Amino acid sequence: MLLILGRRLLGALPVLTALVLVVFILQKVAPVDPVVALVGEKAPPEVYEAARHQLGLDKPVPVQFFLYLGHAVQGDLGTSSVTRTLVASDIMKFLPVTLELVFTALVLITVIGFFLGLATAQGWRGSGVLRVVMISGASVPVFLASLLAMLVFYRWLDLLPVTGQTSAYDAPSGPTGFLLVDSLVAGRPSLFLDDLKHLILPAFCIAIAPAVAVGRVLRSSLESTLRAEYTRTAKAKGLGGTQILVRHALRNALSPVLALMGLQLAGMIGNSILVEAIFARPGIGLYISQSISKGDFNTIAGITLVVGLLYVVANIVVDVLQAAADPRIAV
Amino acid sequence: MAVAEPYVAKDLVPVGTRFGQGLRQYFQGTPVAGWAAFAALAMMFFVAIFAKAIAPYDPLVPAGPAMSAPGSGYLLGTDTVGRDVLSRVLVGMSTSWWGALAVVASGVVFGGLIGLVAGAVGGVVDSILMRITDVFLALPGPILAVAVVAALGPSYVHTLVGVSLVWWPLYTRIIRAEIRKLRASPHMEAAKISGSGRRRRLTRHLLPGAVPVTIITASLDVSALVLMLSSLSFLGLGAPQPAPELGAMSAQGMTNIFSAWWIPVFPAAAVALIAIVSNFAGDALRDRIRDR
Repeated sequence: MLLILGRRLLGALPVLTALVLVVFILQKVAPVDPVVALVGEKAPPEVYEAARHQLGLDKPVPVQFFLYLGHAVQGDLGTSSVTRTLVASDIMKFLPVTLELVFTALVLITVIGFFLGLATAQGWRGSGVLRVVMISGASVPVFLASLLAMLVFYRWLDLLPVTGQTSAYDAPSGPTGFLLVDSLVAGRPSLFLDDLKHLILPAFCIAIAPAVAVGRVLRSSLESTLRAEYTRTAKAKGLGGTQILVRHALRNALSPVLALMGLQLAGMIGNSILVEAIFARPGIGLYISQSISKGDFNTIAGITLVVGLLYVVANIVVDVLQAAADPRIAV
Repeated sequence: MAVAEPYVAKDLVPVGTRFGQGLRQYFQGTPVAGWAAFAALAMMFFVAIFAKAIAPYDPLVPAGPAMSAPGSGYLLGTDTVGRDVLSRVLVGMSTSWWGALAVVASGVVFGGLIGLVAGAVGGVVDSILMRITDVFLALPGPILAVAVVAALGPSYVHTLVGVSLVWWPLYTRIIRAEIRKLRASPHMEAAKISGSGRRRRLTRHLLPGAVPVTIITASLDVSALVLMLSSLSFLGLGAPQPAPELGAMSAQGMTNIFSAWWIPVFPAAAVALIAIVSNFAGDALRDRIRDR
């Protein structure tokens, strides 16, 4: 397993370099002149040149790339061209909110996906209907799900809140930035519940499509492990149905599901941008959608780098988990 | 008493064009659900082609009182400035549909070409091309697409370009795998022995073999692309106002969700409809092709 981890970490280096290169090229082709964005359009030529020099834009392009790479490695993502704040510190402020959302969604995906997979693989009552619902569910755009969720659970049932992260004005902002954790640390369980209520709908909207995908893959992979010889052996040995399912069939069916979860992460990131914009959760998604409308490319570039890094790291974690679930992969 | 019937040859059926016959074979034995899916697909094409003609009003100018509820003369209601939602949704569906098909086509051509070269040439070329592809596969597509479109500036063409730029690696992987499998198969050896040249082997013996798997992948990909394109448009990265784009319409209607739910909900539902139709049609197509 360590071998896998080491190999994947090494393999991530060229990927991350390519990521920085892509973002760098995008910054070069963007029609916005970063110098003008900094000094304004009416700045005299000397000021313009000085700013250009200060930004390092008078150097050859390859040198600029390595400077950019160096800054990025040190966590310096430049300043926002609209608000003049440091992009990296902004991201650190907004990231926990998004991670909280994505983790909650992951929990929901696991629960719903496994339920769907088990139900359809074992042909529980009503599983035919479930399958049609699943195909349709995978086709629903996340903003339709969000709109309907808002109408049903807020407007008609008035059960759950639909805007923001919390209804408290004095929510703790430290020490971790994760409100779920911070509220418990501060000893305020009511705030914890409130945060959870704000999380359910957005997380559920993100979770629908991946949960369906997990359910489908788990179903087909369970169907083959349930037919496998070792399952018959386990049955012959006298093991009960649950034990066969959990210890033999499910464990062997896990690997493709994990691989799929890794693939789904990219879509989840994209969807969390939309969901945060819709539910006004102050996370990376809301931040990037506001940067889009302001044309703040520095911020978008910074977010792309950070999210890309997280995505690569998450996929390494998935690989290691896969090796843990199925030791044959590690060979 | 069972008597063996003497064998009588059936009348020869005139063979149609090769293309027609191929199609007939494809669709023989398609289940009802499959036919329903194909019918829905045909409807989708019909709407996409004739959207402007079917639309009861001009999608760009006000047609009646603002925010009238669905029903009263305006089947899906009107938006905040009185434009007919149904007309805008129809035209928006057409834009989304052609956009998704265009990106799929570019993915097939561009990604497929790389996959074809990598698979057919092999060796160093193969490993270099596949390393590059892997790097792109390892990066999160949606966020890269956002960055590309944001850098180029919002417009519908830029959206298509941005998504195409991140969408090809899937096709490269699939087509390369298929080509490599085919390259090792006996019919390639036979072609070689019978004296076909390199080019003929590539175009007549390798390429056609990769077509079914490409069609399957592409048809199941359309729904993902419709969702992706509409999401970008929702974020304001599509055609600027007042172009009728489903994602953008939904996003602009968001502020009125509690007073006029039909303005954001119907465009979003139209996206879902396109995605569902292409998903089912893709499924049916896969079943047909795989069964052969």
